[in-house]
Amino acid sequence: MPQVRIIAKNFMDMVAALPELKLDKLYENTFICEAVLRSLPPLAKKYVLQLLFIDAPVTAKSMEEWVLADGLSKHRVAIDRLIQLRVFLETTESGALPREPMPSNITVRLPTLEELDVYALEQWELMDTNAQLWYIMREYISNSEDRGEDPADLISFLLELSFHATGQAYNLNTLIDVQMHTLKDLADLGLVKLQQGRKESWFIPTKLATNLSMSLTDSSARKEGFVVVETNFRLYAYSTSKLHSEILRLFARVEYQLPNLIVGAITKESLYNAFENGITAEQIISFLQQNAHPRVAERTPSVPENVTDQIRLWETDLNRVEITPAHFYDEFLSKDVFEGASDYARENGGLLWEDSKKMRLVVNAEMHAQMREYLRRQK
Amino acid sequence: MASVPSKLYSDDVSLVVVLLDTNPFLWTATATATTFTFPEFLAHVLSFLNSIILLNQLNQVVVIATGLNSCDYIFDSSAPSKVEPFESARMPLLYSRVLRRLEDFLGSDERSERSNGAAAAAAPSSLLSGSLSLALCYIQRVFRSGALHPQPRILCLQGSPDGPEQYVAVMNAIFSAQRSMVPIDSCVIGAQHSAFLQQASYITGGVYLKPPMLDGLFQYLSTIFATDLHSRSFLQLPKPVGVDFRASCFCHKKTIDMGYICSVCLSIFCKHHKKCSTCGSVFGQANPEAAAAATDRKRKAPEV
Repeated sequence: MPQVRIIAKNFMDMVAALPELKLDKLYENTFICEAVLRSLPPLAKKYVLQLLFIDAPVTAKSMEEWVLADGLSKHRVAIDRLIQLRVFLETTESGALPREPMPSNITVRLPTLEELDVYALEQWELMDTNAQLWYIMREYISNSEDRGEDPADLISFLLELSFHATGQAYNLNTLIDVQMHTLKDLADLGLVKLQQGRKESWFIPTKLATNLSMSLTDSSARKEGFVVVETNFRLYAYSTSKLHSEILRLFARVEYQLPNLIVGAITKESLYNAFENGITAEQIISFLQQNAHPRVAERTPSVPENVTDQIRLWETDLNRVEITPAHFYDEFLSKDVFEGASDYARENGGLLWEDSKKMRLVVNAEMHAQMREYLRRQK
Repeated sequence: MASVPSKLYSDDVSLVVVLLDTNPFLWTATATATTFTFPEFLAHVLSFLNSIILLNQLNQVVVIATGLNSCDYIFDSSAPSKVEPFESARMPLLYSRVLRRLEDFLGSDERSERSNGAAAAAAPSSLLSGSLSLALCYIQRVFRSGALHPQPRILCLQGSPDGPEQYVAVMNAIFSAQRSMVPIDSCVIGAQHSAFLQQASYITGGVYLKPPMLDGLFQYLSTIFATDLHSRSFLQLPKPVGVDFRASCFCHKKTIDMGYICSVCLSIFCKHHKKCSTCGSVFGQANPEAAAAATDRKRKAPEV
């Protein structure tokens, strides 16, 4: 059997892919139970709640009677997911020791929630922050074995982290070495902020950490937008951030910059610049939409349609002409030879163009050797 | 393509406003008749609230107590409180906070009952219209708060008989819930069906249920009433078997089968009046007895 590599789309896919024993062990942790429950599709959540106090096995057939005909596919997805995560075997929930919270009498100034959000989001670029975060975490977890760490321990620590209260400080001395190590990496990613005290140190989870297990998108953990795009392709960004101005520079011509306002224009040249750097039109549009200023975010669409259409058109402009190295064949001896050759080229997927009247054809350069061999055989 | 930004969360994020019937007449009556007491009821409901909050990080629960003469917010899960380090520690806190507020409320409700005198004691219905309005006000505030908001619904846990004197207010609340697309779920825990709630759930597209066994209330709550609006379109839920559409007259607040309706403002009366007390229209001089007899004859055929 070939090994099928399932690409985990979110945290829970990764949890579901763990071996049975490890998964069962994870469920000893309340946080994991809670995170798994919250990650389930809505129908599955409902089933779990409904069956919570049912001791006897329930037949699949009787469960199917709960849903309407329309919902059968959703029902199957929900049941599959529950089985995949071995939830139908899991009923007990035990209490867990809370991490030691920071004593309130210590007079270190804690960052405010806004500052934490800014800190957390500082490092992230065009894409949905949580999606980027997930890409990185996925690699981080799958590489953990190479570093000599147990992925199950790592997952359980990350999930636990996601249940910490945002903005609260927790003492580092409650962590084991592996977790300390992980925490340092997480601090670089903006998931936690480390705070040094005189004798002890604390970590403060940011919103990124608490959203981690929820696989939320930015739309549900929305940050305040700052960009206004006008129908004349002018763009106003109310931001003091250097990062924002650099991001805008990727695809717009920045005309002037005031202390809290960046004014620019989206031009064909600026967009071509972006496309050359591998940024797609969809990424630019979704960036503009996700970061729309509250004043325009209320409107539909938040970015004027003529602008989004034009951005897409300019992108497709680039794709209009495609250059393929090819060879041109003509002066065939007979109609039969020509047709044989063109059929041969077509079957091998190399035929680009043919003119049967004048008996000429163009074939992909990669096939030139094959074609020559074929034609020689025909003679 | 560009997605249409919606102010509603697309999925199963819910705001559940739970109306608790705290009518002392109801609970003393059930305590003697059955084994289901108010503390037991609360235990079921608290577990239910807990489950709702557990299901989604963004879920929100608001509890409103429906007393005899007053109603008040008891609990709001979104209210900023002292941050607890862990959810597990938050739960006992939730319980104690709900119970403390409930006690305060019952005390003040009793005092207002005393000051009102014996008038209310004659009709031991609770102030459903008031708590429905409070719930709708809360939901309107959420709607207008600007940011993304969860999908709201109202759950009435009602046991007291309907108060016909509240008919107009309750119906107005129901229609405003219908307009703002807020389903009203009803779970009747009293001895008899509630015509008000049957109509409320029917009109707003909510679920009406009178659990036959109150001992398993949590199972009913978790099976039926915990279902988010998103999932409801895929599930078999209890369908209305019969809805009591009877109205109360505006003049004596009696529940009636048949009556007189003002052709201008649709006010309902149990007797013929010369003039509409609501809009002031003067009614015609047609013989009321003959008209009544005519409608009687007409009614017979379709009713068979």
